Amino acid sequence: MTILEMKHVSKAFGGSQALSDIQFSVEEGEIHALLGENGAGKSTLMNILTGVIPADSGSIRFLGKDYPSPTIQQMEAAGIAFVHQELNVINDLTVADNIFLCRELKGPLGLLRQKEQIARARQLFEDLGVEMDPSTMVSELKTSEKQLLEICRALYVDAKLLILDEPTTALSNNEIEHLFGILRKLKTQGKSFIFISHKMPEIFAIADRYTVLRNGEYVASGNIKDTNAHAVTSLMVGSQYVNEDVYVPRELGDTILELRHYSGQGFHDIDLSVRRGEIVAFTGLAGCGASELMQTMFGALPSEGGHMLVHGKSLGGSIVQFMKRGVAMLPSNRKENSVVPDMTIMENFYLAEHELSKGKHPFIKVKEETGRYEAQKESLHIKAASSADSILALSGGNQQKVFLARWLNIGADVLLFDNPTQGVDVGAKEEIYKLILDFAQNGKTVIINTLEIPEIQKVADRCVVFYEGRIVKIFEHSEVNEHDVMLYSTNAIETTQEAAV
Amino acid sequence: MNNEKKSFGATLGRLWSQYSFIFVLVIIMIGYAFTIQANGNTFNFGHIAAILSSQNTVIVGTIALGMAFVIITGQIDLSVGSSLVLCTGATIVVFNVTNSIPLMILTALAVGALCGAVNGLLVGLGKMPPFVVTLGTMLIYRSLTLSVVRKVDPAISGSSSSQFAMLSSNSNYMALRKTFGAGKLSIGSFSLPYIFFVFLFMAILFIVISRNTKYGKSVYAVGSNEKSARLAGINVTWVKISVFILTGLCVGVASILQACKISNVTPASSGVSYEMYAIASVVLAGVNMAGGKGKLLGVIFGALSYTTINFIIVSIPGLSVDIQDTFQGLVLIIVILIQTVGPVIRENIQRARKRKQSSAA
Repeated sequence: MTILEMKHVSKAFGGSQALSDIQFSVEEGEIHALLGENGAGKSTLMNILTGVIPADSGSIRFLGKDYPSPTIQQMEAAGIAFVHQELNVINDLTVADNIFLCRELKGPLGLLRQKEQIARARQLFEDLGVEMDPSTMVSELKTSEKQLLEICRALYVDAKLLILDEPTTALSNNEIEHLFGILRKLKTQGKSFIFISHKMPEIFAIADRYTVLRNGEYVASGNIKDTNAHAVTSLMVGSQYVNEDVYVPRELGDTILELRHYSGQGFHDIDLSVRRGEIVAFTGLAGCGASELMQTMFGALPSEGGHMLVHGKSLGGSIVQFMKRGVAMLPSNRKENSVVPDMTIMENFYLAEHELSKGKHPFIKVKEETGRYEAQKESLHIKAASSADSILALSGGNQQKVFLARWLNIGADVLLFDNPTQGVDVGAKEEIYKLILDFAQNGKTVIINTLEIPEIQKVADRCVVFYEGRIVKIFEHSEVNEHDVMLYSTNAIETTQEAAV
Repeated sequence: MNNEKKSFGATLGRLWSQYSFIFVLVIIMIGYAFTIQANGNTFNFGHIAAILSSQNTVIVGTIALGMAFVIITGQIDLSVGSSLVLCTGATIVVFNVTNSIPLMILTALAVGALCGAVNGLLVGLGKMPPFVVTLGTMLIYRSLTLSVVRKVDPAISGSSSSQFAMLSSNSNYMALRKTFGAGKLSIGSFSLPYIFFVFLFMAILFIVISRNTKYGKSVYAVGSNEKSARLAGINVTWVKISVFILTGLCVGVASILQACKISNVTPASSGVSYEMYAIASVVLAGVNMAGGKGKLLGVIFGALSYTTINFIIVSIPGLSVDIQDTFQGLVLIIVILIQTVGPVIRENIQRARKRKQSSAA
């Protein structure tokens, strides 16, 4: 039975058409993957469905009822729940309090019936097969549990259709499996899901059907079992950039970077040496210490022991000290750690260079800066109208390129990239991989920290797997495969070996 | 025709959002001109010159320049009024004792910078909220000055009535008070006081720092996104400290103007609420209180707007001085209301228009 039917939905923002003539439907008890690059119109469509923004035209029919101009309250009451990518739980309340937020059980005098709330929450968790204590504080939960809590909250009000917007971004593989187990169970109970994700393996593991949007237009929909990741990717990106093998083996130079018994917050006793022109990938589960190691290698976190040597000389101190020695880091979570929202593209681009040059040349030379910006813009293929536009006017991929350019502009030759393709659409991802390989070709050394194994296969000469702050395995390029990397990241290898002994 | 109208509206909208401070000043000036005319006088250059040379413009305006930097980094400095008193007191004492103009200027700048540095270090290294730190130093700076003024020999303080005053017996007194403090630069039939040009010079200096130096960009970056700024290599702690020191230097310059224009300072009453006037000028300049955004050019206009509001209130006959702050507060709230609500209203109108268009189609 079809529970949701959206037809001929169109929406324009200002002059640009965000959606045109979209059709989208969801069956009862299915997980429907909504696919498309960033900017394809997925969020706009979901915002229209949940009544956040009005459509310019088109119809919405849910559970046999038409909603010509839906409001948030109407759609919630009808049984549609939106579980956002950024978690909307309140850390300083208990699990039960979060579930009953805004619909508290009240006794006479308006006092909370706390015991009953906890009992009902416990019942809910039991029904769903979730192991969580309703009386714990949310701040003590793991990210995956918070995600589950949000889903449970939606189910408590008897939502029929849940929209999950990239629900696995912050989860480790075990946690993802746990989440998927619960989704499958709910599916058999007749709940439906709209599943928004960029990760192909997940979509093929969980979804029943899919719909692809591209540039605000409906492209295709169908059954997941009748297609494959390659075909779906082609639908999403159009004809270009389909999963080319971009990796090229290169001649590597001398050792440029060495870590000796390097320790810090979340990692211990790391020994590693990296050669000029090499691309090394760090990987591991969330919390494995690779990101912290990277931040320490840039002076953003303090080191607690051992040495980092660049060109044979020990390096430490503040971030500027690392920059002076040619070390640069592209941090994860671009919006929070890279973007300066009130500044122009040019100002964002030049921020780091200014720190190094301001002692000798305190004044800004506009002409010279424009020249260097144009050169980088050209070589990195940054799509930007004017360098005086706000950085926010650019797409995620182009913003990321501006921040790459920021470090090329200071001539950095050891580039640390922490999750560089996060929130970047498929086309721009491929471009970033090519750029990384170009950098290495030109003698720059690149270390990239990523959770996506296909990414590692595309660019890395070696793959270093971390588990609980230590290196557990180093793979050569040819040895990298999803199965083995997973085996070491989850430390499953040790458990099997122990069992054998 | 319709198109032309729209683009004119769009240009006006952009001008308003970028240079709202000019519109604010023009509107307030027109209001002032009306009250002058209503009093039976003609609005002329003399009235404008009076606004330009008012101590509200030059002294508060100079302090507001530093305050703008502090606010752009997302901080606040409540101690400036008290620092002004402390700084002017020290400046006058040094003048009375030494009769030396260079030493006097040096004292003003050094004491100002020191007051700012204390704030900055407590905030930057102590990681304490600037509101609380500068609230504390606001009380400390003024009370220190108060306790000193009552104990100092009148031959040094220059007055026996709980204030610091420039000694007229010093040989450089006339040069500072009459030639500089009350002196004017005449261009044709117009004349403007020297001290206004000091403010103008400071304003230009700060505009250049904010727009054309790498340091200036780092100030904006820290206010806009501290984490990103740090990860681009900016020493966030130093930037936060430095804006307080700059504000202190502005207070130093302002205390020279106070000494030369007014010749004395009363620790119990001088400079009271100047921190609020300075913040008000910065707000009227269109600087975002949350940090990261705002033009230093606006501070000139903001300071002038604030002074003009005072002049309007004083020039309305029958209006008691007691009610003055009510009007100032109202104008401030109205201006901010227009700045924040304006864009929302514009968006709503656009949305309604679009809905009408699409339903017509």
